[in-house]
Amino acid sequence: MSPELFDVLAAAGKIAFFWAVVLVAYLPNVVWAERRIAGLIQDRPGPNRVGPFGLFQSLADVPKMFLKEDVTPLFVDKLLHTVAPTIILVPALTTIAIVPFGSSLTIAGREIPLVIADVNIGFLYLLALTSISVYGIVIGAWASNNKYSLLGGLRASAQVISYELSMGLAAIGVFVSAGSFRPVAIVEWQAAHVWNCVPQALGCIIFIVSAFAETNRIPFDLAEAESELVGGYHTEFSAFKFGMFFMSEYANMFAAAAMIVTLYFGGWSLPFLAVTGNAGGLLSIAVFLAKVFVWVFVFIWVRWTLPRFRYDQLMALGWKVLLPLSVLNLLVVAWVVARGPGAP
Amino acid sequence: MNVLPGVAPMGVPPEAYLAVGTILFAIGLAGALLKRNALSIFLSIELMLNAVNLLVLTYGRMRGDLAGQMIVFFVIAIAAAEAAVGLAIFVALFRARGTVEVDKVNLLKW
Amino acid sequence: MTGATFVFALASGLAIVFALLMVVQKAPVKSVLALVVTFFGLAVLSVQLAAPFIAAIQIIVYAGAILVLFLFVIMLLNLTEEAREKDTRPIQRWLGLVSAVALAGLLLGVTLRAPPAPVLRPGDGPRIPAGDEIPLLGRLLFSDYLFAFEAMSVLLLAAAVGALILSKRRME
Repeated sequence: MSPELFDVLAAAGKIAFFWAVVLVAYLPNVVWAERRIAGLIQDRPGPNRVGPFGLFQSLADVPKMFLKEDVTPLFVDKLLHTVAPTIILVPALTTIAIVPFGSSLTIAGREIPLVIADVNIGFLYLLALTSISVYGIVIGAWASNNKYSLLGGLRASAQVISYELSMGLAAIGVFVSAGSFRPVAIVEWQAAHVWNCVPQALGCIIFIVSAFAETNRIPFDLAEAESELVGGYHTEFSAFKFGMFFMSEYANMFAAAAMIVTLYFGGWSLPFLAVTGNAGGLLSIAVFLAKVFVWVFVFIWVRWTLPRFRYDQLMALGWKVLLPLSVLNLLVVAWVVARGPGAP
Repeated sequence: MNVLPGVAPMGVPPEAYLAVGTILFAIGLAGALLKRNALSIFLSIELMLNAVNLLVLTYGRMRGDLAGQMIVFFVIAIAAAEAAVGLAIFVALFRARGTVEVDKVNLLKW
Repeated sequence: MTGATFVFALASGLAIVFALLMVVQKAPVKSVLALVVTFFGLAVLSVQLAAPFIAAIQIIVYAGAILVLFLFVIMLLNLTEEAREKDTRPIQRWLGLVSAVALAGLLLGVTLRAPPAPVLRPGDGPRIPAGDEIPLLGRLLFSDYLFAFEAMSVLLLAAAVGALILSKRRME
């Protein structure tokens, strides 16, 4: 088998693995998990009728979402109305292309690094995709031909852009200490030294808060604000298109959790265990998925615990608190790296 | 054109990139001359800037020089600053005259 | 057709087609969206030209920030279609179109003609390295291009302040 064909097959296998994990295993079940955990926190049962423990609830919800009538309001731009949910879903699903989900597997004598695309711009690709997902919100808001949706969409996109800044600056601290943009290098640095959440705790907190704001989760979900704006920028979308908006929020949550785990919590590595060979590779995949699911649980937990920020409080937090703190974090990290051992 | 010795050959001949850049520049120029909405004219100017970026990157790659990428980096930053100020001007213009059509902004005409 | 040629054809075709769409569109919102697709095509071309950092910066800054700013202004000023009034200067439009096409032909003729060999000299700047060029770019920014870098930061600050002041409502 030629090397190129092998690489193509390996890449296809990794992509298929991710589609299987995210689309088939994760997306239906995270909705169920959210509703059950909401029930636990609010001292009520949650869905428990459909199947044991309500596990088949998504199996009932997803066909409902596909089969409902697709209502397009009268004076909207049809093309934009159809395209908007796609623009917000595609970056959410392609973000995981650069995330290393394991160390490496050796098949047929060739080593396959467990990352779909190890580009040297690494996390800049992620920031680029986050910038693109803003368009989905803005176009969805505009295409609804509805001033409340437009306002909700503009607020949401302003929020996303503002928190992108502090997210990027906090992440730069990690790039400076690891010396590279590539997530593979960052995870290897953490495997060799210490998880980044310990020396860069401030950056970690800033990144996590910004990730909450980026994914529009409570306490930052004023854009959809189910109890206030009806649906915000996705009010006028029904059936399949609403399903795509809905799914994109959970896919974004997965991507954000994967980013947090890769940057600050060691990716696929365990601090005390170093198993080599294929067993190590499979173990690292399991460790990575476990960490990501822990963080998804934290996302859900925070949602049903905290109240929602008002919009001016949200913007003040992003610009007046997080941005100066992330610059301070970067200064401290850069100073330590420049003075420390191994400095140029 | 020749590729210099010591520079890695490009998969696609560099003339193709130069042609694409030139065509995009001409399209941007046509847009800047033909549109009446000030924002559309500004968009066409941004397209011209990007076409030039592509040309500079191509020449840098042909010479194997990183200076091309540095120039493009600074051009993008300057375009960001220019866009901010330009859009603020358009907003002020809209508030003053009620329109952003360049044909209507003719108070200084004799 | 090799992979590189196919990707080049796809990206440049996308860029040119959507640039034409941008110029032809009457509604400013759709113009901006067409330009976003053009920038994507240009970013792919930049990656092919061994400049992946520039491609990322183009998407993050240009498509992700500048054009979003455009969209905000268009939506807040509620600019819908271009006015349906009769064009007051049709001859000037035709002249503009003809001159743009003529300029394109002229430039294409000049750039595609092979120059005599001594004109193209190797660049005297740092070479594009075989592997990761991002550390080298960072080093360059803070050594050779330091003055331009600092001037750029002042420029951006001035632009931000200027934009704020220009778009403030006058308090009467």
